[in-house]
Amino acid sequence: MTVTQPRAFVKILEERCKACELCVVSCPSGNLKLSPKLNRSGFHPAEFNYKGAKGECTGCAICYWVCPDFAISEVLVKA
Amino acid sequence: MSRVYLKGNEALAYGALEAGLNAYFAYPITPSSEIPETLAKEFGNKKFPEYKFFLQAASELEAINMVLGASAGGARAMTATSSPGFSLKQEGLSYAATMELPFLVANISRAGPGLGNLGPEQSDYFQATKGGGHGDYRLIVLAPDSVQEMALFPRLGFDLAFKYRNPVLILGDAFTGQLKEDVEFPEVELAQYNVSSWATTGAKGREPHVLNSLELDYEKQYRHMAKIFEKYKQVEANEVRFEEYLTEDAEKVIVAFGIVARVAKGVVNRLRQKGIRVGLIRPITLWPFPKAVLSKLASEGKQFLVVELNTGQMYQDVKLAVGDKVAVGFLGKWGGIVPTEAEVEARLQRLEAVLA
Amino acid sequence: MSQLILKVKAGRLKSLTENLTHYCAGCEHGTLTRLIASAMDDMGIRERTVMVDSVGCSVLAYNYISCDHVVAPHGRAPAVAAGLKRVRPDLMVFTVQGDGDAASIGLLELIYAAKRSTPITVFLVNNAIYGMTGGQMAPTSLQGQVTTTTPFGRDVALTGTEFDTSKLLAGIDGTAYVKRSSLVLTELSSPRGKVYTIKNILDAKKSVETAFQVQAMGGFAFVELLSTCSVNWKMPILEAKRYANEQMIKKYPLGLFKDTFGVEK
Repeated sequence: MTVTQPRAFVKILEERCKACELCVVSCPSGNLKLSPKLNRSGFHPAEFNYKGAKGECTGCAICYWVCPDFAISEVLVKA
Repeated sequence: MSRVYLKGNEALAYGALEAGLNAYFAYPITPSSEIPETLAKEFGNKKFPEYKFFLQAASELEAINMVLGASAGGARAMTATSSPGFSLKQEGLSYAATMELPFLVANISRAGPGLGNLGPEQSDYFQATKGGGHGDYRLIVLAPDSVQEMALFPRLGFDLAFKYRNPVLILGDAFTGQLKEDVEFPEVELAQYNVSSWATTGAKGREPHVLNSLELDYEKQYRHMAKIFEKYKQVEANEVRFEEYLTEDAEKVIVAFGIVARVAKGVVNRLRQKGIRVGLIRPITLWPFPKAVLSKLASEGKQFLVVELNTGQMYQDVKLAVGDKVAVGFLGKWGGIVPTEAEVEARLQRLEAVLA
Repeated sequence: MSQLILKVKAGRLKSLTENLTHYCAGCEHGTLTRLIASAMDDMGIRERTVMVDSVGCSVLAYNYISCDHVVAPHGRAPAVAAGLKRVRPDLMVFTVQGDGDAASIGLLELIYAAKRSTPITVFLVNNAIYGMTGGQMAPTSLQGQVTTTTPFGRDVALTGTEFDTSKLLAGIDGTAYVKRSSLVLTELSSPRGKVYTIKNILDAKKSVETAFQVQAMGGFAFVELLSTCSVNWKMPILEAKRYANEQMIKKYPLGLFKDTFGVEK
């Protein structure tokens, strides 16, 4: 079975997240959801999974631009 | 510059230009309008290369905020007004004092409250010296008594403003603003003020400067204001200015500022000719107030008569300085009226009858 | 396994500090802050930019945008910005103001800065309410909108109709660029179900950049940005987005109202 290498990666600073879920709903491939753990502010921070509910992360960076608290701090793509 | 014959307001304007004024933000109001009018006329005069910008703002409120912005950038900025306009500027002055911004404001005060009239009054004393805007702060207040002082105080004002990073107020009145006298502008080198540690000139090669009055951390706000009041203690220690006239052997001392001091001086001279020993203390800085000299004279048993164009404002500061040592009398005139020498003399004679 | 080499598609901005943001969850102030910082980085203007902060939810931007700041009294930011710009025309000076700061208490300062073609940039975050003070009526609140000072719904017969700042400024001679954009995430229905698009944010990004360019060209640039306030509107975040996209848009249609220099072809 071939293993596909991830083409993109979203870096999340969990302590900044306020669980507004804007990234969760706007991600076209469903790579983001709220994690079960809690950050220091008492929110369930967003967490990234390369294999999303609807597909793999393409590095579109929609989450980056929609995040109001800059918890989505970096979107990296294959060079 | 040779001797010229100018109105007080004009002398103030030229004094500011000679002091290296960079920007003036105007709003007309009687009896101060000659200040912006003179500065408008002189814009572009190559004699004043520092003078870069003049604008008539849409209100006194807009003007003071533009001064705030200009001084944030390190410029020598100024605005002038009269009493009703001075009320509008209180918000800006409150912000500027805590943001530690240096600039000049002039209040050529008139009768009030409200619209009052165009005559001279000194009823903005509280507003000027106790902080007319909200919060705990002080303005350095200079009170000119002549056209010559109107010409000199802008330079002194800018020096103090930039030395202490605080707004400076020149508190004139309708009389000194409109009076015409001989005046001389001394040749002085332009002052260079170093603003590099705080001015918002673009954060190139340094940490950003944030000029701000908001501090949500109560402990930090406490420390910030404590630091500012330490600064004010320095001003009180170093910058008190007053004129002392024939007080050494005086039995009675008149305390007066601005145009009233000119009347008082006339009274002192006349009474001295009759052998009556009277003197005068004329505060030049209304803040910091010359408490020490008044306290000293009180210890020597001298009696005081405070004469001012209001219902008793500087009177309170004199009482505070003098304490219970001696009686302090008061003669007030308002509504635009200046007391005559005869009135002051008569009041002086009745001074014994007044208890503290 | 060959090594995966990644490059940054969207990343750390020099013009953004690392401080935690205070904004309510889902608030577009954060979005605008990111767009401004991004423009400052892309245009290389951080070191000669001064922000004049105003009073409202926008006030704490001095903690987030890394440049010089002057915090102005409520409503006075355009005057403070004008005073600074006039003595230092080499600096890039901009304000971020709420609808109350700009269209209520600060209307004179805004109009005159515009009227004089003062070369500054003004960003107006319009969320139809006074946010920071707890949800009172704003000049831009909608007819019937419930706020803490209009608990029975705003009555425009008494309080005046919804304030269209962009329209007002477009009608003033001195303005060079007047644009109304939106920062609000938009829901689209599609065969796949609910889909969300950030087309507004991407358009706002261009507006922000253009607004700085217009200042560099010597003009007064104004961008109004529709936003939400889910906390004070008392709506869940996505419902607030819908309110902005469906209700606010009726009174505040997006568009380019003025473009004297022809920057948006």
